[in-house]
Amino acid sequence: MIPRIAFRPGLRGLHRVHPATNLLLLASVLLAVLGTHSLIVKGAVLLLTFALAVWSEGSIRAWSKPLRFVMTFSALLFIVQVISIREGFVLFRIGVPVTREGMLAGANMALRFLVILSSSFTFVVTTDPDALANALIRWGIPYRHGYTLILALRFVPFFRNELRIVRDAQRMRGIKASVRSVRSIRRAIRTTFVPVLVAGLIRVDTIAMSMKGRAFGLYRRRTLPPRARLAWEDGLVWICSAACIGVAVWAGGVGWL
Amino acid sequence: MSFADGPSIQIDHLSVRYPERSACALCDLTAEIGPGAALAVTGPSGCGKTTLLRALAGFIPDMIRADVSGSIHFDGSPSAGRDPIHPRPSVGLVQQDPDAQVCTLRVRSEVAFGPENLCLPRTVVDRRVQQAMDVMGIAHLADRDTTTLSGGEKQRLAVASILAMEPPILLLDEPTAHLDPACAMALFEQLRHVRELRGCSLVIVEHRLAPLTMLAPQLWVLDSGRRVPREPGREHVPAERLLQRAHRNTRSEESPTASVLGVAGLTFSYGGPGRLIEDLNVSIRPGTVHGIIGPNGGGKTTLLRLLAGLERPDGGQIVRHSQARPGMVFQHPHQQIFEHTVRRDLEIEGPMSDADVMAALRGARLAGTAARAPHSLSLGEQRRLTVLSAFRNDPKVLLLDEPFIGQDRENVLWIVERIVDARDRGAAIVLVTHDIPLADALCDRLLYLGDTVLEGVPSDVFGRLEDMGRTAFTPAFWEESNR
Repeated sequence: MIPRIAFRPGLRGLHRVHPATNLLLLASVLLAVLGTHSLIVKGAVLLLTFALAVWSEGSIRAWSKPLRFVMTFSALLFIVQVISIREGFVLFRIGVPVTREGMLAGANMALRFLVILSSSFTFVVTTDPDALANALIRWGIPYRHGYTLILALRFVPFFRNELRIVRDAQRMRGIKASVRSVRSIRRAIRTTFVPVLVAGLIRVDTIAMSMKGRAFGLYRRRTLPPRARLAWEDGLVWICSAACIGVAVWAGGVGWL
Repeated sequence: MSFADGPSIQIDHLSVRYPERSACALCDLTAEIGPGAALAVTGPSGCGKTTLLRALAGFIPDMIRADVSGSIHFDGSPSAGRDPIHPRPSVGLVQQDPDAQVCTLRVRSEVAFGPENLCLPRTVVDRRVQQAMDVMGIAHLADRDTTTLSGGEKQRLAVASILAMEPPILLLDEPTAHLDPACAMALFEQLRHVRELRGCSLVIVEHRLAPLTMLAPQLWVLDSGRRVPREPGREHVPAERLLQRAHRNTRSEESPTASVLGVAGLTFSYGGPGRLIEDLNVSIRPGTVHGIIGPNGGGKTTLLRLLAGLERPDGGQIVRHSQARPGMVFQHPHQQIFEHTVRRDLEIEGPMSDADVMAALRGARLAGTAARAPHSLSLGEQRRLTVLSAFRNDPKVLLLDEPFIGQDRENVLWIVERIVDARDRGAAIVLVTHDIPLADALCDRLLYLGDTVLEGVPSDVFGRLEDMGRTAFTPAFWEESNR
């Protein structure tokens, strides 16, 4: 299943900040969780992500509902780690020994997964891709590459929709997408991904013609939309980004759990 | 700008042949399109209409590989669509599928895309964007996400995004294929306004010519890549005559049998505010054709999906008296083609003898394609293949979502024959269509789905639509336009 993740226009929190500020926040959060072993820092970064997301989306439910799969998968990661690492200090037994090392490894992996996915999700739903691409182009990235990002995002809902309809069409023609044998997997790939791929290729051809027909690539530069303005929220997010990096570096130095 | 200010187009012995095809897509075409002209191009499926537009726009052979001989000149210069003196395209092409040509995520940025690529000053870009949105009536959608627009809104956006570049020649490839009758009329009204305002030339490829009459266009008929003389009435074979040619009764008797499929108090929404379908009651009997008409976004396709069991209703009941799988034709044929040859795809529903395969393909004007990859067929051919698949095994219920899109009248006749045959065998057919005269001639019952719901025999439904002022959805309006 492909979750519904797309930019949602909003009027508060991270929706109001410059797209480059949102990108800076995402980079800081990712650096903090990937660059430290500290569980406390990972937990704090998760809480910060959670607080910023709720500030932007207005409710816990609006943010957490699309992430239910991620949360479930994080819990699964934790359990798998706990029951598979049997060496170390045994805390208790549930058929298999549960060790302190297993708990720590599981919590580390689950928290890292949860922070990466939830911060990326928050970034996607609060950052206007058009505005982000234009900000990147202003920074000197060639506009052809900037538009690659927009086109990639344009294709996400397209593929989601195509996959749904192809599966519906399979049902209507009596095709069962089974994965019980190599042969059935090959058939499932052929009957599912080939139609979606063909649809994607047709779409790419049409969009390429549409872009070229509208003089895309005719000149080395293009007129850019008006520059996005900074708001007071940008300052707050800069402080949060700096805090993420600072705490991660400090925690590494003092050897926090 | 007057009509005479735009460039003229001289086509000189133009031939186009695609790789791995023996026949020319365009064969030795010589013609001139005057400045400010309105030209309608029609002809059977695969006759070279889209190829002509793509050649005029310079996409062939620039982006689409083909052997090309002859030339196209714009006011004497061989510019392949690009004006060499003024840095702007001379030709703007609106392609057939409006959804597939949207490059950006906001309506305003989509309209601004072309002028921004031309490096025009910001103030000029903003002025052109506003003008193009005003002309096409989409200014109120400026900040909308492009993926949330209806089919009609996307079509107007596609035209506006080309208009903002102010090309003196505007090419449109079946612009009404996905539009309801009212939207189709509104689009051509807007194009007439644009032509009067800007003096640009219009070249429009269409199967449905009735809405074009307000532009008073010159008509070209293409056949097998050549321009052929117009046979009066050939492009407008009235629906009743189509059915007479099929040697069938035009209307089945009202069946006294119980319904095979029905909905009671059906309610559905996609989660947003408001309901798409509310408290709908319909009963579909065997041996009848049940037509669904209405504006874009009115819930026609959704109702088909509900009847097929592909969506769950929010409330009410869907009663199926037959557990057998219905035959279904989806709107986009590539979504229901799964095998690597035409024959194997046909055999998904069960094995067929060589003779049966050949006969089925010949009937669908697909002779000689059995060993070909289905995705290499044209969209019209793919759609006929999906119709063949849906009608195999004589299903008791057939759900057809706009099966006539992109088909010439001969192919429409073939599909109509399949429908009438199935109906005579006792199948219940639910048909979504924008072809109002055909719906009038073919359907035993009609359902209008829009901001209001009307259900009954066609004469009653059309009468009520007439009273409500929705004349574009009545056959009388289309018969009048055809005259």
